[in-house]
Amino acid sequence: MLSVKGLKANVGDKEILKGVDLEIGSGEVHAIMGPNGSGKSTFAHVLSGREGYEVTAGAVRFEGRDLLELEPEERAHLGLFLAFQYPVELPGVNNTYFLKAALNAIRKARGEPELDAVSFLRLMKEKLKVLHLDDSLLKRPVNFGFSGGEKKRNEIFQMALLEPKLAILDETDSGLDIDALRIVADGVNALRSPERSVILVTHYQRLLDYVQPDYVHVLAHGRIIRSGGKDLALELEEKGYGWIAGEEAAA
Amino acid sequence: MSDSGFNLWLGAPGPQGDTRLDWLETKREAARARVLDGGIPTSKQEAWRYTSVKRLLEQGFVPADEPITALQPEDIEDVLIPGLEAHRVVLVNGRYLPGLSALGELPPGVRIGGLQQILKSDPDALRDRVNGVAGEEQPLFAALNTAGLDDGLVILLGRGAALTRPVELIHLSVGMDEPRVAQPRHIVAIEDGAQATLIERYLSLGQSLYCTNSVLEVSLGRDAVLRHQRVQDESPNAFHITGLYLSLGQGSRYRGVNVGLGAAWARTDIQVRFAGEHAECDLQGLYLAGDQQLMDYHLDVDHRLPHCTSRENFKGILYGKGRAVFDGRVYVAKDAQKTDAAMSNRNLLLSEGAEVDAKPQLEINADDVKCSHGTTVGQIEPEMLFYLRSRGITAAVARRMLCLGFAGEILDCLEPQPLRERVAEQVGHRLEHSPLT
Repeated sequence: MLSVKGLKANVGDKEILKGVDLEIGSGEVHAIMGPNGSGKSTFAHVLSGREGYEVTAGAVRFEGRDLLELEPEERAHLGLFLAFQYPVELPGVNNTYFLKAALNAIRKARGEPELDAVSFLRLMKEKLKVLHLDDSLLKRPVNFGFSGGEKKRNEIFQMALLEPKLAILDETDSGLDIDALRIVADGVNALRSPERSVILVTHYQRLLDYVQPDYVHVLAHGRIIRSGGKDLALELEEKGYGWIAGEEAAA
Repeated sequence: MSDSGFNLWLGAPGPQGDTRLDWLETKREAARARVLDGGIPTSKQEAWRYTSVKRLLEQGFVPADEPITALQPEDIEDVLIPGLEAHRVVLVNGRYLPGLSALGELPPGVRIGGLQQILKSDPDALRDRVNGVAGEEQPLFAALNTAGLDDGLVILLGRGAALTRPVELIHLSVGMDEPRVAQPRHIVAIEDGAQATLIERYLSLGQSLYCTNSVLEVSLGRDAVLRHQRVQDESPNAFHITGLYLSLGQGSRYRGVNVGLGAAWARTDIQVRFAGEHAECDLQGLYLAGDQQLMDYHLDVDHRLPHCTSRENFKGILYGKGRAVFDGRVYVAKDAQKTDAAMSNRNLLLSEGAEVDAKPQLEINADDVKCSHGTTVGQIEPEMLFYLRSRGITAAVARRMLCLGFAGEILDCLEPQPLRERVAEQVGHRLEHSPLT
């Protein structure tokens, strides 16, 4: 589904990603862990097409297409979704209106008929119920005046509605209390299917108690320095990132 | 006799229409003399520092003195807002057309109609009302309006009268062979404790060249309330000038929403005078300025009495080579303690060719007041744009959504709902058919 080879990227003159290799198959959940400043968020942003990053080397293929050539909206049309670490507030833009515009833009790009108002509302209600969310969220401007937890839940709600093929969660767990964390985890677990894949970018192991990853990768200094199964996360939790960084230095 | 440049607008001296009232002729003659003595506004005058009247002068407008009688109710069907129940007054090229209007039943103490119509039945009814708020020392365009004073909308509410439905003024412009200027004068007087809502809509049939130079005088008595919503959606080739003069009595409340969408060249002057303490004035504004469009606003809020509140919140969206001017002045007199005044002007500049001159000023002479002002000129936040695009929304649609979001704060102030929806639709339509860069 996603194939990343030798990806290097700069912010300004500074090289942040120094050759990332990653293969993700259908239905897999990958966790990318790493200390602060390791390049985790940069990696997520480069995949989603955010401006301000310069890819200097490497290739990314997604669903058979050269991902790096596509506009952000085209990536979304192909089934890529980024849950933002800091969701953006859009004053004056109604959440329901926004969600309907997003869903129909994606449906249209896929050659599916756009949903009318009634079918859309029905779909929203259904997804809200699955995620145990309050529908008052929908009447407000997008993320505007939302608490940190509400913003993150709104991201997961969008993910549930848009049903991406590959969801990238950029530190969605940061700053969440245990109840909000459960909702996020439920959202991800509900999305899991043989056709869908997830990348969980996270600093802590905590989220992985609720969402069991198939693979765990450690990103440090712009490279994936170790990959393994879910046990790697537990080991990291126990020994800290210094443990791997130390091993790397020794090797 | 000197040439103000606008002498053509004056037409022939003498009474308009078929009524001759001495008091009215005196006012018109005085205004005429004022125009002739005044000369052409230049950029040396503070009120005309950013805006030239050159384009306006070049058009050679002459007074719209031919009555338009051919219009039938079906001709204005598209203009009406479904679901908007109102006492409807239709003016065409500045003249009241009873055949297109639908006043409906009016509660006791309420008079609504055309200015000439009211004068015919009660010649002295407006003697103290005409220039009652605007005064005799009028700037050029108000003086031109007075000199040509002929027709307009009149709303008179006696003490304690209450209108439950809004009054909707539809001012329609129809192009003529020769470019015409219509100069309607509207008078709204709400006496003590009375309440009303006024919707003013300026529209055109077709895309012709014409000029509207309107003046609205509003006086609110003690504890009176007026909601006033004004939508300027003139032809893209039109010129639009308006003077809004407000006098607010003790404890009265004025809530205004001013939306400027149309016209190639539009100038708005708003003058607020507090005539009693504890009065409140709230002015919300939204303007769109695209290619070759000028939107020019001048606000003059004079707190000469204590304990009054004023809010001015104007937002603009500019693109292409659109231009806007926001010149707002709040004056607080020495004795006007406990004044609460806030003025804000925020602009979204979508292209390099667009331009805005924003000049909010506070002049405070009292020491126990709460006053603020702020101006912003910004672009669409790249973060916001990216967020929408990452959800599959194309860049063009995303820009439009963000513009509508920016406008939403003002559009939400419009009431009732059918009006709000219609104006939001008009704004959306404009944005959809304009390159927002």
